[in-house]
Amino acid sequence: MSDTTQFRVLDFDCPTCASTVERALSNVGGVQHVEVHYATGRVEIEYDDGVADPDAFAEAIENQGYTPQSA
Amino acid sequence: MNKQSITQYYRKHRKAIVTATSGLLYGGGWSLGYLTSFDTASAAILVLATIVGGYDIAKTAYHEVTNRTLGIKTLVTLAAVGAVVIGEYWEAAAVVFLFSLGSYLEGRTMRKTRTALQELLEMAPDTATVRRDGELQEVPAREVEEGEVVVVKPGGKIPVDGTVVDGESAVNQAPVTGESAPVHKADGGEVYAGTVNQEGALGIRTTGAGSDTTLERIIRRVEEAQEAQSPTESLIDRFAKYYTPAVIVLAIGAYAVTQNEILSLTLLVIGCPGALVIGPPVSIVSAIGNAARSGVLMKGGEHLERAGKIDLVAFDKTGTLTKGETTVADIEGFGVDVGEVLTLAATAEKKSEHHLADAIVDAAREQPTAATDGGATVAQADDTDAGRQSVPDPDEFDVVAGKGVIAHADGHEVVVGNRALLDDREIDVPSRVGDYVHDREERGETVVHVVRDGDIIGAISLRDEVRESAPGVVAALQGAGIETVMLTGDNERTAAAVAEEVGIDEYRAELLPEDKQSVIEAYQADGHVVAMVGDGINDAPSLATADVGIAMGAAGTDTAIETADMALMADDLKRIPYAVKLSKATRWNVLENVGLAVLTVTVLLAGVLTSYVTLASGMLVHEASVLLVILNGMRLLRY
Repeated sequence: MSDTTQFRVLDFDCPTCASTVERALSNVGGVQHVEVHYATGRVEIEYDDGVADPDAFAEAIENQGYTPQSA
Repeated sequence: MNKQSITQYYRKHRKAIVTATSGLLYGGGWSLGYLTSFDTASAAILVLATIVGGYDIAKTAYHEVTNRTLGIKTLVTLAAVGAVVIGEYWEAAAVVFLFSLGSYLEGRTMRKTRTALQELLEMAPDTATVRRDGELQEVPAREVEEGEVVVVKPGGKIPVDGTVVDGESAVNQAPVTGESAPVHKADGGEVYAGTVNQEGALGIRTTGAGSDTTLERIIRRVEEAQEAQSPTESLIDRFAKYYTPAVIVLAIGAYAVTQNEILSLTLLVIGCPGALVIGPPVSIVSAIGNAARSGVLMKGGEHLERAGKIDLVAFDKTGTLTKGETTVADIEGFGVDVGEVLTLAATAEKKSEHHLADAIVDAAREQPTAATDGGATVAQADDTDAGRQSVPDPDEFDVVAGKGVIAHADGHEVVVGNRALLDDREIDVPSRVGDYVHDREERGETVVHVVRDGDIIGAISLRDEVRESAPGVVAALQGAGIETVMLTGDNERTAAAVAEEVGIDEYRAELLPEDKQSVIEAYQADGHVVAMVGDGINDAPSLATADVGIAMGAAGTDTAIETADMALMADDLKRIPYAVKLSKATRWNVLENVGLAVLTVTVLLAGVLTSYVTLASGMLVHEASVLLVILNGMRLLRY
């Protein structure tokens, strides 16, 4: 089944940084759709809850050097 | 501090710590080289500064490259590595430190823009006091069920959307509608989560809780609006995609021609598309956030950019410039008793949903005595409240859109309508009727004729008061160089009287609903950028036709928010000059930011080509321009 989760990243410092995070998240297993918005810092992830591990999302964001907050 | 909390602290402030460390090392290394002759030690410290400050940047750059989103960090990493390779340690450390400092400050300032809306959400309390099983219980606000009654003490914040079932009070609705004056709420009154109960205790029957409240819906829409790209933003984004690779090619080309390493590395640094890509979104997000806090919902950057070009505002009359509370001002009988005129008109209009019909039916119900002398039937005690007259149903009933109604009641044909309807039906209008109508219309009232079996037996004059704020709003728009027009279905004379009272430049009268659309199209064809202000439901087509459709009093109605480009949560006309001026300020702000960015790059490029600008100074100016652009955009938060 498909599920959706949101994070908020308040410390994006450039629009490309947001696209890099978007790419990184889409490479996490089980992720179906990702939207990362530079302007609001909102990250929306649609994923297959049988496959994806939601903990991996925050980690993927942290790996890019940003601080995810649950929203 | 134990080990865990140190780790946490480090994680939270990593950027600041990294930037500060790299800065200190940079300062130390530079002083050592400048003041002493320990050149190797100085170089080592500067390289260390580059590594400390550059590690995170290089890591992101690696991801950028592997994800094929070449960005600013790739450019900075290339420049820093290049500088170390050619032995320019000072330049390498400076570039990395200045970039980290810049990004840190940019992230921090952007955080303010990103949390501007969060403050609104926090207006709604987390818990609610609910009446369950005859007792008051404190429960999380999200878990309140629809239909449950929530009790809110004076001074308390309202946790849910609902209807007042108990008590009365003044409620401050600023978080939702932006109105600063409290609104009186009594039995049946609608209240919103996040608003503040100021005076008496209220019992509220819940209609929505948790994410299903007006406040949450507004915030979601505002965020969508902020995320939607404006035309300027998408243009710049498309441009930026090719820009970074182009800069790399340019730097390589420059090296091939000049053999000057510093020059080509500096090109990489100043070629970062910082201020250009960051400027427009910051301006637009700030403006939309500011508007949201003042009770104006803007649908997105695209609408905002268009609204910045508005030079003509068209107002619907009824309910927009006027209060929309039509009442009967006068009744005249022509050879017939006024009570009978009213009762007959009310019977004919009873099934109509027009606002004039409602006013006539209400007036008939409020009549002190029954008008029985002329054969109109009275009192089939159906929906009669104590002390109110009942109005009989018509036998047959037809609406003629924009003109009136034709009904059959008690064996008579009854026509209630305007002059156009009488002309259609070739009904003769005696001069005393014409004089009466003329006189009332010059006072800004709307007159309907009451016709029984082809003879005019009376006329009813209706009045809809102009909003107190209307003249000031029109004047404010005119002061900002914007033309104002009033559109109405009313006749010429009534329209002229209202237009004069409001001080509006121009009016168009006797318009059918579809005519309003054509009027707007005609203005557009003349080269005007037109905003249309209306209630969002009856005026939906003209709102959609206008370049910018502005719906009033949209807090409770989702349809209005859907059709409009801008929605005023409250029924407050004064928000219109504010919204128009904010849009204009935003448009300027975007232009300023783009201009500043282009100017910076041009000056830097000239500086590089004449060797006045090197890596460090190039980065300093570049980062300064980015910060300047962000701060400029953020001015709109406080507009």
